[in-house]
Amino acid sequence: MKKRRLIPVLLLKNGWLVQSKGFQFYQNLGNPVTSAKRLSEWASDELIYLDISRDEVYDLRRDDLGHENRRSFLEIIQDVSKVTFMPMTVGGRIRTLADIERRLSLGADKISINTAALLNQNFITEAAREFGSQSVVVSVDFKKIGDKFVVMSEGGTKETDYSPLEWAKIAQSAGAGEILLNSIDRDGARTGYEIDVIAEVSENVKIPVIACGGAGEWAHFAEILEKTKADAVAAANIFQYTDQSVYQAKKYLYERGYNVRPPDLLTV
Amino acid sequence: MNYCKRCVYPQIAVNLEINNDGICSSCGVFEKFKKLTPEFWAQRKKKFEELIKEISKNNTSDYDCVIPVSGGKDSYYQTHMMVSVYGLKPLLVTYHGNNYLPEGDYNRDRMRHVFNADHLVFGPSVEVLKKLNRLCFRKMGDMNWHAHCGIMTYPIQVAVKFNIPLVIWGETSWDISGMYEPEDFVEFSARARHEHSLRGFEWHDMLNDEKEKLSEKDLLWTKYPTDDEILKVGVRGLYIGNFFRWDPNKHSKMVQEKYGWKPREVPFERTYRKFSNLDDRYENGAHDLLKFIKFGYGRASDHASKDIRDGYMTREEGIEKVRKHDHVVSSDLNYWLDYVGMSEEEFWRVADTFRDPRVWRIENGAWVKDNVWGTSSAYGPVYLSEEQSKEFNKRQKNLGLKNNGK
Repeated sequence: MKKRRLIPVLLLKNGWLVQSKGFQFYQNLGNPVTSAKRLSEWASDELIYLDISRDEVYDLRRDDLGHENRRSFLEIIQDVSKVTFMPMTVGGRIRTLADIERRLSLGADKISINTAALLNQNFITEAAREFGSQSVVVSVDFKKIGDKFVVMSEGGTKETDYSPLEWAKIAQSAGAGEILLNSIDRDGARTGYEIDVIAEVSENVKIPVIACGGAGEWAHFAEILEKTKADAVAAANIFQYTDQSVYQAKKYLYERGYNVRPPDLLTV
Repeated sequence: MNYCKRCVYPQIAVNLEINNDGICSSCGVFEKFKKLTPEFWAQRKKKFEELIKEISKNNTSDYDCVIPVSGGKDSYYQTHMMVSVYGLKPLLVTYHGNNYLPEGDYNRDRMRHVFNADHLVFGPSVEVLKKLNRLCFRKMGDMNWHAHCGIMTYPIQVAVKFNIPLVIWGETSWDISGMYEPEDFVEFSARARHEHSLRGFEWHDMLNDEKEKLSEKDLLWTKYPTDDEILKVGVRGLYIGNFFRWDPNKHSKMVQEKYGWKPREVPFERTYRKFSNLDDRYENGAHDLLKFIKFGYGRASDHASKDIRDGYMTREEGIEKVRKHDHVVSSDLNYWLDYVGMSEEEFWRVADTFRDPRVWRIENGAWVKDNVWGTSSAYGPVYLSEEQSKEFNKRQKNLGLKNNGK
């Protein structure tokens, strides 16, 4: 039986690695590469690296350090792929097939698209045809409005007419290889995942679903594996607070008998 | 340069983010901390006790924890908490970088007596230290890299060697810039050490320099243990500031009254505080001057920003402190130049190459920057060659600064 994956997410904003809370509060953590290297050393199953910048300025504002202050996302991705040894999905600000091609050629194994897919479903199809379904992840940000869950675009700022399940099904038919399902309300809230939505979507699509948004303790990962059919569980902030975090999270799940890879360290 | 409207921090401060209302992330996080109720702190205390228990359950050592100490007021506070409040037996560990002020020596050597604790004081040879001072000054504009590295490495080596899983640090790392919030319960990490404290450099970057011959054997104390070694012992570093309200002014008073800790007798030149950084004669002096040279702000800005947040002074008073202290070239610079055998001319020639174009501009052969009080002023002559000045201006242009760094 296929192992279920544990996937750390790194968020890049204007050249900084950041924590995100509620899609609106950001805290600079540090440079874009060191964390990726650490996550790789802790034998993460995969890595999701998202650029959530709102403009083209990438600047660490420091030129006296041991690592380069890169001025573009593509340079950063190149640096990251040099120090990581796990499959990497790269997303954020992707609008064209050329954007995808550039990211894949710099070391990304998959790309993730969000707004561009909502603007034009054919983009999913074209991307899948050009690069293979397996490399196209459609990222779905959703939010509770009234008593309904609604898919949002443009970094959580714009409402669409879709529910998460409707949109996930459309993305699947259009050729997406995976769905990254992220709750805006639970982003950085530590209250656990939006279980019902993740359960509903993962039961009703055939492609793998990655659950994201809300992890505050290792037990929240277990809850997803327990109560939903999600293939993978992803989280960002929680992996930044303690050393060997991914190792500890895996150890927690593995010792409790969940179907995950055993905790490990990567010595390169 | 943009400044926070509430404290006196400039946008350039490490990891700082200034929000749309003009308030910096440090003040934002502080506000969150300030609103915390006594019940909240009572819960944190409980959590601290649970964590200590959890981490200590695999302790095979005779010591209960490692406390990295310099002998400063924070070290006394940390040790007070672990010894006097919790009744634990710590192993105190000091990295001695040969920069102690006399008061700092006194405070450090007093610790083991007033806390009835075993104390391990470690330091490399003065030759190695001088080489590292010069090399790191040239490499990254910071002669104190050895100290950041020693403080952040040697105690963890000791924890691994002695099989002591619990390490107790002081203030939450980097809450100064609002990287983390109380609820994040951040712990000591090799990433923060490497990236922030060591500026992205490690021991191997110190080898093969033409001028300063250092061998791997000279630098054994700079090597951080592997994940494997750390996991075997279960070493975790907790910041006590995450669990108990952190107030340096209060702590300073308490450790003086209770343990006879001594503040600085002579005032510092670059800050008004008398109770910070006594373990390091340069931390408030030459090393901090370099922060001003690079980024246009110094210890007085750090201290004033904290004291404004803590309610010990108004922003206006803070600005006066900055105006008085931030730019001062302190006398310990000469002390350092003698120590490492460097001329002042060479110091400025090297230091000027680290000026940040986001902060400084060259006007009529002088270094000019925007001040927190709203005007710009010149802060001394430019020591760069014509070519270097051109290069600096080019870098500034390439930054594409919107309205002058804002």
